[in-house]
Formats: sequence, C-alpha cells, structure tokens
Amino acid sequence: MHAGLDLLDRHVVDRDGRAVGKVDDLEIECAEDGTVEVTALLLGPEALGRRIGGALGRSMGGIAARFSGDPEPARIGLELVEELDIVIKLKHPLHQLPVGRFERWVREHVIEPLPGATDATG
Amino acid sequence: MKRVLGLALGVFTAIGGFMDIGDLVTDALIGARFGLALVWVTVVAVIGISTYSEMAGRVATITGRPVFDLVRERTGPRIALGNVVVSYLVNALTLVAELCGVALALELLSDVHYLLWVPAVAVLAFVVLWKLPYEMMERVYGLTGLALFVFVFAVWQLGPDWGQMLSDVTRPSVPAGEGLPTYFFYAIVMLGAQMTPYEVFFFSSGAVEHEWDASQLLDARVNVFLGYPIGGALAIGIQAVAYLALQPAGIQVEHLGQTVLPVAIAFGKIGIALAVLGIVAATFGSVMETLLSSSYTVAQHFGWEWGKAKKPVEASRFTALTLLTLVAAVGVALTAWNPITITIYSVYLGAATLPFTYVPILIVANDRNYLGDHVNGRLANGLGVIYLVVVTAAALAALPLLIITKGGL
Repeated sequence: MHAGLDLLDRHVVDRDGRAVGKVDDLEIECAEDGTVEVTALLLGPEALGRRIGGALGRSMGGIAARFSGDPEPARIGLELVEELDIVIKLKHPLHQLPVGRFERWVREHVIEPLPGATDATG
Repeated sequence: MKRVLGLALGVFTAIGGFMDIGDLVTDALIGARFGLALVWVTVVAVIGISTYSEMAGRVATITGRPVFDLVRERTGPRIALGNVVVSYLVNALTLVAELCGVALALELLSDVHYLLWVPAVAVLAFVVLWKLPYEMMERVYGLTGLALFVFVFAVWQLGPDWGQMLSDVTRPSVPAGEGLPTYFFYAIVMLGAQMTPYEVFFFSSGAVEHEWDASQLLDARVNVFLGYPIGGALAIGIQAVAYLALQPAGIQVEHLGQTVLPVAIAFGKIGIALAVLGIVAATFGSVMETLLSSSYTVAQHFGWEWGKAKKPVEASRFTALTLLTLVAAVGVALTAWNPITITIYSVYLGAATLPFTYVPILIVANDRNYLGDHVNGRLANGLGVIYLVVVTAAALAALPLLIITKGGL
C-alpha cells in the first residue's frame, strides 16, 4: 500500500458513518531493520498546519493548539480502523474516539443554546 | 405518475437554481446595451454548466460524496485549501448580492428602502435554514420562480420583428458606440452570471442531502439537461425584452426596476406583480444556495459533519459557519455599497475563478477508484476539456478587460 496516496486526506467516519475528519497526517515508525510502518492516523488542524507549512500552516496549528491547550493532533492508532476504502471507517462511535473537541465546543457553546437546535428539518 | 411528478419538480428546481440576481441584472443590462449580440454566450454557458453539473452530480450519486469532499485526496491539502478559500469568498460575495437582490425586489413592491429589507430577508433565511425541510425549500422557490416566465411571454406581447431578431442572434455585431473590449468584458460577465460556481457546489452537495444513490443518476441528469436549458431560455427572454423595450428608449439598466420595466410595458400591473414574485423567489432561492454552498465547501475540505437536512446539533461547526456567514453577509450588505456593483463584481469574480471550480470536477470524474464504470466518457471529457480552455481564457482575459474598460463603462 502506498501510504501517501492511499491514506492521506482520506475521509474518516466512525462506526455509524458520522464524520470524524480527514487524515491530515500519518504517524510513521522506522523499525531497526529499516522497514517503515504507518502506526496511526493524525487528525486536526495541528497536523494539517504542519503539512501545509509556511506562515499559514504555523498559524493554523498555533491557533488550534491555543484553543485545545494541546499542541499535538488527535491520534488514531491503526488498530482502531475497521475498513480502509475510499472512506476510512473506524471501529468505535465518535464519543469514544479522541477527536471532536472543537465540534463539541461549538455544539455546547453556540448551537445548543439556540432554540430548536435539536430538531431535524429533514 | 409520482415518478414523473418528482422529475418535473426537480427540473423546476434546476430552473430556479439557474436564475439569480446576477442573471437578472446582467441579462437586462446587456439586452439594453448590446441587444441580442451576446445571446450566443448564454448558449455557450448553458452547455458548459450542464456538462460540469452532470459530472458533479454523477460523482455525488455514485460515491455518495460531493466533488469537493474528494478533491483534497487528489490535489493535496495546500492547493485544495487555496481553492476552498477562493470558493468560499466568491460564494459569500454572491450571497451579499443575492440578499440585496431580494431586498431590492421587495423595495419595488413596497417603497421601503432595500437596506431595511436586508435584515428581514436574513431572518427569513435563518428560519428556512432552521425549520423548512430541504426538499420543501427547493420546491417552494423552484415553483414560485416559474413566475419569471412572464419575461418570455412578454417577448411575444411586445410584437417583435422575428426575422430581425434571428439575424441579430446569428450574426452578432458590436453596437455603434461600444468598443470591442467592452463587448468582450460583458461576454465574460455574462458567462460568469450563467456558469456561477455555486451551482455545481450546491447541485453535488444537494444530491448528498437528498441521499441520492446510483439509482437516481437519471434524476440528476434530467434536472441538468432539462432544467438548465430552460433556465437559459428564460435568460434569453430577459435579454430580448430589454432589447425590445429599453434599447429604443435609450434606457441603461442601473437598478432592478429597469429589469422589470419591459414586463410592465407589456402586461401592466399584473406583469410587474408576476415579475417581482419570480425575482423574489429566484433570488431568495439563491440566497439559500450561496449560503449553504459557502459552508459546504469549507466543511467538506476539513471533514466536518455537514448538511442542512441534519439536526443543527449534529453538524455544529457547519451550522455555526453558516450562521456566521449569513451575519457577515448582512454586515457587508448594510455598508450600502451599490448592490448592482456588488452583483457585477461577484459575477466577474465567479468568472475569473471558474477554472478552480472545474479542474477538480474533471479530475474526480475521471477517477476509476471512485466511479468505476461511471467515469467520464469521450463526450463528457471532450466537452470538459473544451470548456476548461474556454473558462481559463475568460479568467485570464478578465483582469486586463476590467482595467481597459474601467469595469465596463
């Protein structure tokens, strides 16, 4: 498998098909025999900022880190992956995954206080 | 029967989706200044928008994901991010123009200044976003927008010399007093008005909102190949009545009221009422489409949960960005910057950035990993490449022409 082509920027969903994010970067380990192995998917603006690089990438990662209080992106070990296809499906539901802080913050502070925010419009 | 009705409603929606404030202003402006000498641009634009919308719709129905969800995997995050920023800004500026468009149409009816209508229209957009089911939203403005056909009927009512009109269309010439650069500047503006980028964003994301799958590919194609040409016929009707009623009187279109004037001459008050009703419906529909398209592109780039059909709490970042965009657009509209100027610039920027919209669609529509046997055939690729050359040439010529003609003066 070609990690750069087959994993990077793929869409990631949870067990129930809800959006988790995009594969913004990969965690790679080099074994002593020189083989290289992908060990985890990295998600979030901290990871994307590093890949984009330059002043824009740095400020993107910096702002995200300031909000979350953690300079490291969300890490999803490959053992949590259920299926690798044009969409990457994970084994667990969203709330059990180490992602979604920003989505949660916006939900609790911006959307939920609005009346009717829990009604489906269809 | 139900199937036919469903298809017909889809087509009406597509007609409404084609018409927006950019069309209403530029068609009348160009008809009054250039007669029928730019009708060929509408024909070119309809074929182009149909070609690319079909591709975008096919990608969405087959993969269940809109084009801009997939494109990052093919172009990398840096180019894709640049593309998203440009698309967002053009969509948001178009939203400002559409908001002003609804408000200007309401001003025609009420004599209340359009700036007072802008916040009211935004509140209505919020209510529709929050409460009205997706399909209902499309159908209400799609069906009401059909009132715009009063412009087409007005062509007959004004009793034109059909032979003369036909020769004006088939042998276009630059009118006396207009320079060739101005003619081409308005050709590009018209192309931008009729091949607006948000139409493909909205159409492909809408296919996902409708939860269309491969079995609804026919629906998508009927929408495109019937809806857009009928929309194009409407656009030509507006150009024709402006040519027949405004040009002889030497009237230049500087206000939405002048777009409606030919219908008033043809049918009196009932004509005005129908035209304004159609304009309100078409521009309000475009408010929703540009608003949603703005946040669709961003959410799809970053992999957020998105969709108007979802509960707001289930797509929080998407919904928050949509609300923020609406508030910001109201803010820009309330600066009282001339709304017709905003419209022309949004249309012009749409034209100048069209290659950014079309390149990703062409790339993804050729990818067997996503589409299997449903990749582009020769016809789609042939037309796709020709139109890519056309929109790139238009985009490159846009800035020099803007400067030479001082914005079409």
